[in-house]
Amino acid sequence: MAKLDMTRRKFLKFTGASLFLSAVPVSGFTKDLPQGNISVILLQGGMDGLTAVPPIGDPALASLRQEIGLSNPIKVNPFFGLHPKLQHFSKLMARGEASIVHATSFPYTKRSHFEGQNYMQGGGSSPFSTTTGWLGRALDLALLPGRALSLELPLILRGSLNVDNFYPARVNGSSKPEKWLIEQITMAHQAEVARAFQAVGDKVVDQARSNIPRDPVSLAKYAGEQMSTKGGPVASVIRVNQFDTHALQGADEGSHGDRLELLDEVIKAYREGLGDAWDQSIILTLTEFGRTASVNGTGGTDHGYASVGLLAGGLIDNSRVISEWPGLADVDLYEERDLYATIDYRSVCAACIERVLGLDHDLISQKVFLTSKLKRTYDYIFS
Amino acid sequence: MTESFRVAQKIGLLFRPEDDIPRDIKDWAIGQLSTESKSIGIKSISNSHQIEYWPEDYLPNLSERAEMLRQLRLYEDMIQKDKSLSKIEMDRLLWISEKKNNIRFLDELRFAHRNVYAEDQVKQRFSLFWSNHFTVGISGTTRGLIGHFMDAAILDNLNGSFANMLYKVTTHPAMLTYLDNIYSVGENSERAIQCRKNNKCKVGLNDNLGRELLELHTVSPAANYTESDIRATAQILAGWGTIVDKPQLEKFGLFNHWDAFVSNRAEPGTKLVLGKAIYAGKDGLHNLTEHLASHEHTQRHLAHKLCQHFVSDDVQSVDIEHIMKIWQQSGGDLRKIHQAVIERAIASKAPKFQWPAIWLFQVLRISDSTYFLGWDDIHKDLNDRRMSAKKVFQELGQPFWAKRQPNGYSSSKSYWISGEFLERRLRFSEAIYNTAHPQLTPKEVMDRIGVNSATRNLVEGLSGRKRQFIALMCSPELMGV
Repeated sequence: MAKLDMTRRKFLKFTGASLFLSAVPVSGFTKDLPQGNISVILLQGGMDGLTAVPPIGDPALASLRQEIGLSNPIKVNPFFGLHPKLQHFSKLMARGEASIVHATSFPYTKRSHFEGQNYMQGGGSSPFSTTTGWLGRALDLALLPGRALSLELPLILRGSLNVDNFYPARVNGSSKPEKWLIEQITMAHQAEVARAFQAVGDKVVDQARSNIPRDPVSLAKYAGEQMSTKGGPVASVIRVNQFDTHALQGADEGSHGDRLELLDEVIKAYREGLGDAWDQSIILTLTEFGRTASVNGTGGTDHGYASVGLLAGGLIDNSRVISEWPGLADVDLYEERDLYATIDYRSVCAACIERVLGLDHDLISQKVFLTSKLKRTYDYIFS
Repeated sequence: MTESFRVAQKIGLLFRPEDDIPRDIKDWAIGQLSTESKSIGIKSISNSHQIEYWPEDYLPNLSERAEMLRQLRLYEDMIQKDKSLSKIEMDRLLWISEKKNNIRFLDELRFAHRNVYAEDQVKQRFSLFWSNHFTVGISGTTRGLIGHFMDAAILDNLNGSFANMLYKVTTHPAMLTYLDNIYSVGENSERAIQCRKNNKCKVGLNDNLGRELLELHTVSPAANYTESDIRATAQILAGWGTIVDKPQLEKFGLFNHWDAFVSNRAEPGTKLVLGKAIYAGKDGLHNLTEHLASHEHTQRHLAHKLCQHFVSDDVQSVDIEHIMKIWQQSGGDLRKIHQAVIERAIASKAPKFQWPAIWLFQVLRISDSTYFLGWDDIHKDLNDRRMSAKKVFQELGQPFWAKRQPNGYSSSKSYWISGEFLERRLRFSEAIYNTAHPQLTPKEVMDRIGVNSATRNLVEGLSGRKRQFIALMCSPELMGV
């Protein structure tokens, strides 16, 4: 990471709750707090952090983003705005139930979707270095269940025997498979295939639930309801895709804005589904990388480095923009093209796990993120 | 399974009841690579045993596809501007126009037919492997081009060199559209200079295809290329595509030519990619694809993918090294490379997990079931519980006509193991039994393919043919685990 220079210090004055990672105290053990629930929204394709949360106070922003700059962002503070499609999120911020972490990323700079997606879910030392995911490993340590709302069990949840998935089937001419038949088939199989067949047999879904639509918004509402049920999953994972806007990404309206609107609706649906359990919830977004600071030749943005993380839920007590803003001037950009990451997003994920599952930070660092060096950001997010 | 069926499961689609079972399976498999490929299928499920050629009308070339899309757009425009129509009427008319002019529905069905009825089953498998390696998802006009891409860029080039396939794929309008290259303009091209001078238009580079050409299609990140290599690749690609000005687009409807290079959009000057100097001009891309095709990292990357897809789930480095050796000796001759893959797949006794779509085709073939509609049926409102090909592949989690990521479907077994994925196997087995009229009983299938004793015990321990059918198709042996 580049060292902090004067330009950045100047910006920091405006950002309010800023964060110097080097000065984070490590302390505290949270097991005395009630257990919460955690939901991860995977934003596939690379969310443009400068569109979702534009740093309106940065003098370089306007010229970098002439064609795709927002005409009327929602003002969060003098330095940061919010995309107008994130209406619900802005209301949560006003209520003190949502925060933003900006200029953040997993420590990955090579701009490949597929390495980046693997890494943000695997959370090991590098892409493709693990066959389990960070949330799965955390649930395994806490002995608590998790659920993905997708046809596949995503990498992020792998690593625990107590995770499953839900994505209601629509196969004409078929019915819910007989439990007894599944048991016979399960016994013929081995290892992970047997376990997955077993999960089909164990799945309890009432008839009304098996007909829910399969869009992310409906699934988020369902996931919230499940998590609010006693004995239900404490973690859920949903995917929102198509953030990879290389061409004609639009500004206030247009393709990237549409994805943000969908994300906003997903967060809203989670809240509806969670009901009273919202007070014990944290929802966080995860994306493989941000996009280039500058608009490309075709009205879009290419693969970049740092992006933004959105956090929402009743577990947040004070809304903040948490950022050590690196600046958008040419010299401040990573390889003169991308927003620099000054906050390791793994630390943010670790703080959420600490708060929700009551695990010790050092344990999370070593057993969940497989490193001893993760900084603790808990107090910046949850104090 | 008998050796013939074991091998056909790994590298083919299994034998239909009318197929002769070859005595020498290796000979047969290698001979399959030279079989003629034909679009065959059924006209209607009411006459499901008449397997015939697809009608010529349903095999449009690029210009005809362009015309279909133009019609589709004109009609959409007309309907949407008609204020007298209610929302429901409008949707109904749009749907009728879609069915008539949107070739994707027929392409997707033809793809299903080919795999279910094909006599060139090994070629179909390799064709699907490469179609997935060079993924083209739906993005704008590509919906009408994917079928053409699979036939003309992949299948027709299956027995040439990898370099040739790479070039044909990269310059096909489906790929140029899907990965945004049609919008890309060199920053020092005549067009860009003109734009800057007039201050009327803003054009420039888009690196999407350039990046994936290196990362996914050829050398992979293992080659440690730099951002400058990616940029240079994008500069070489600039100009490839076609005119995207709106009036032109409306006039032509679709990019109706292959191999289109617009020189005033091209970036002048020599570019350097992975140490190779590529000169300006149309030949530059050819030089680049040749260079990438012969790169050691491309060979290693693709040898690994081929082994994972065809040989064993636990990829062995000795297999990778062998394929690489053949690749180098043959100068990237795909026929020789495929032959080597077949030999390693036969030599490896490890089971090979099969994709949901491949498994479905295999289930339909060995049980002689009629599951997909005929080409005449899709325009009828059949009072039938059957799903369209589109819905079948969606539900399996493996649609090829869909908005999808350019890395394609994983050949890693672990991705495809989840409760929901396996519930699909159970449910599709039941749906096939209930609606697709399997001509062979579970016992007949077991006898014919020679299942092992574990499969036989599982199936015979169950009462009722439906349960037996489901258990057979979801047995470890039939799933390849």
